[in-house]
Amino acid sequence: MDRNSRIEVLVDHVKNPRCKGVLDGADVVMPGGSPECGGSVVVYLRGDAKGGIEEVSFTGEGDTISMGATSMILEKVQKEKLTPEEVLAFDYEKFVDDIGREIVGSRTRNATLGLSTLKAAVRKYQREARPALKEKPASFH
Amino acid sequence: MQQEIQEKGYAHPEALVTTEWVAEHLGDENVRIVESDEDVLLYDIGHIPNAVKIDWVEDLNDPLMRDYLDPEHFAQLMSEKGITPDTTVVFYGDKNNWWATYALWVFRLFGHDNVRVMDGGRVKWEAEGREMTQVVPTFPRTEYPVPERDDAKIRAFKEDVERHLEKNGPLVDVRSPLEYSGELLHMPDYPQEGALRGGHIPGAANVPWAQAVREDGTFKSAEELREIYEGKAGLSEDQDVIAYCRIGERSSHTWFVLSYLLGYDNVKNYDGSWTEWGNSVRAPIER
Repeated sequence: MDRNSRIEVLVDHVKNPRCKGVLDGADVVMPGGSPECGGSVVVYLRGDAKGGIEEVSFTGEGDTISMGATSMILEKVQKEKLTPEEVLAFDYEKFVDDIGREIVGSRTRNATLGLSTLKAAVRKYQREARPALKEKPASFH
Repeated sequence: MQQEIQEKGYAHPEALVTTEWVAEHLGDENVRIVESDEDVLLYDIGHIPNAVKIDWVEDLNDPLMRDYLDPEHFAQLMSEKGITPDTTVVFYGDKNNWWATYALWVFRLFGHDNVRVMDGGRVKWEAEGREMTQVVPTFPRTEYPVPERDDAKIRAFKEDVERHLEKNGPLVDVRSPLEYSGELLHMPDYPQEGALRGGHIPGAANVPWAQAVREDGTFKSAEELREIYEGKAGLSEDQDVIAYCRIGERSSHTWFVLSYLLGYDNVKNYDGSWTEWGNSVRAPIER
């Protein structure tokens, strides 16, 4: 994909954001970023009965890279039904490659704002709200 | 319609041009229009015809050390953008010209003083339905002599701020109230871009930078600006003033307002700002 095509993908995500809006009944509401620098988002996460991810969404404002990339990663989670473990293992560098390293340039922080906030939401979900983990007592050997 | 700007009563009205003026000078070989944004892709999405892009990170920063580019690289950048020492450079950008004024301030460090800002920035140009293009212009390379960089007049280093404090000199902190109060230390998940301590430099007044701008992106009138910076913050034009923020970008906007629009002769931008001060051992802090 050439530079312009990659920019078009991001712009499409900005103009037609996927998974955008407040998620009713969210188990986790996780803010990230700064409106003064690059952008800020709030990621909403609702888990399913098995401790997986049922739905994610985001609100926020920022530049083309941060908003487009946030929409991209949340759409991926939703479409591919990624598990919490898969989200946490998702590599930042790979994500920057997916967006296009040549257009992200030095703005890797903006590009990974959504992913880092999503990971923070998943960690909080696992810590505080995940039903499967809460019900399952720790075992010791 | 430079009249609109004249009527706002600025000390240096020539530092601003209207969108209409820019539209009339798109092909003027003595003028180079420069877009400088926070949103680094905006230029690719569409820009003013014949405008070139200067990115504050990629173009104006030293790639290794925390400093601006050196004189050789500045001359090279000017040559690549088709700018001569006599070219009138007109800056515009997103976020109320926040980054445009930052780029302008860096140009001034190198003695390129023939600089203007397009009042209202990108948002006003777009709102007026003016022409945008994705065509990246090319200009013949110019001969731009390697300039001397003079950091003394408009840039403050930490030692300058310390001496300023000893004299009880006025400081203006242009960050958000939460940053000023110390409640917000850094952006969540990015502690490396924050500071170990929160608060502000003792005695600094808090005037968030965007208070200088109207809703349409244009600067407020001189009278309105005086009310903010003199009436509320207690500054006066006969004083030496130092402005700061987190890394010196927002405060370059305030530096522009105080220097050009209100005509203060001695304003410096402390670009080390809170990321330096708030991490420094034994630097005095107020909350």
